[in-house]
Amino acid sequence: MVREVSESCVESLLSEIVLSYCSGFYANKPELAARRIEAIGFQVGHQLSERYTMDRPRFTDNLEAIKFICKDFWSELFKKQIDNLKTNHRGTFVLQDNRFRWLAHMSIDPLVQASGNIQDPSAMAENKSAQATGMHLYFPCGIIRGTLSNLGIECAVSADISNLPACELITLITYNSFSYI
Amino acid sequence: MIVCVAVVGHQNNPLYIQSFTKGDDSLLRISILNVEGCSYHSLKRHHIVHCSLDVVDERVNNPKKSGLIINETFLGLLNPTENYKVYGYLTNTKVKFILVTTDLEVRDVDARVFFGRFHTAYVDAVSNPFHIPGKKITSRKFAERVSTIVKSFGLSSGG
Repeated sequence: MVREVSESCVESLLSEIVLSYCSGFYANKPELAARRIEAIGFQVGHQLSERYTMDRPRFTDNLEAIKFICKDFWSELFKKQIDNLKTNHRGTFVLQDNRFRWLAHMSIDPLVQASGNIQDPSAMAENKSAQATGMHLYFPCGIIRGTLSNLGIECAVSADISNLPACELITLITYNSFSYI
Repeated sequence: MIVCVAVVGHQNNPLYIQSFTKGDDSLLRISILNVEGCSYHSLKRHHIVHCSLDVVDERVNNPKKSGLIINETFLGLLNPTENYKVYGYLTNTKVKFILVTTDLEVRDVDARVFFGRFHTAYVDAVSNPFHIPGKKITSRKFAERVSTIVKSFGLSSGG
């Protein structure tokens, strides 16, 4: 029996997490808030990876693990696969999702998008909205980091949201740490 | 007759060890928490599990020598020592399940089915948000599920 989760509940929960940490617990300390949100994502990814790798044969290298994240893992979480995967074959992977589900309902500041001439006020506005949206991405970055870490791959994950609602998640594998045991 | 099941983490740290003594129909459970509380038999089983970890390492790191497909999670019979047979299973997240049994004729299929159920129970136990990864599994529900799985080992699957 498949258990289902209400999507709107998940999105509300995520917005609330970001809101509580950014405006509540660690107001004025966005770096600390980001660390905490990423840590929560890390634990979630850790536990999810146990569940979703259950019936699969073991991975043979880093690329297989990343492909698992792009296909199966992303389908389980967001009902779609990663749209584009790029790598420099030296441990950096860029996962691109053209319509990231958790950002799909966030408004994009039209002033920022339309203006070609960036003056001071609009630059500040762009900064604020980008920063606010960016906070919501620490959780999925943490999830990816937690998943890979449970598979034995140490990495750092960051996000790039220059084209909303598309989102790029950049995974840097810190050292060639894949081992069988 | 299953004698012992163990879950070992990826740094070879024990996450869960449960022994089942020989009984008629009842399985007496001895939980191992510290060395002083252990009896001779429990220590012996710890030792067997510990030795079989080396075999797991060897099997996985030298695929050509053992002729095993590198992708398999089920590692099969690790070492038939004395009266015991030890089966191993390695998950994607580098967690090892060890099964020690005194049965003389254990079918491969039975062991696979056992590990499949055990893996499901393990995943449910680890998904507990209060469980700290790397620490021992203290869930009573997990212990009960393992007891049930152990009891049904070898009894199911007609034919």
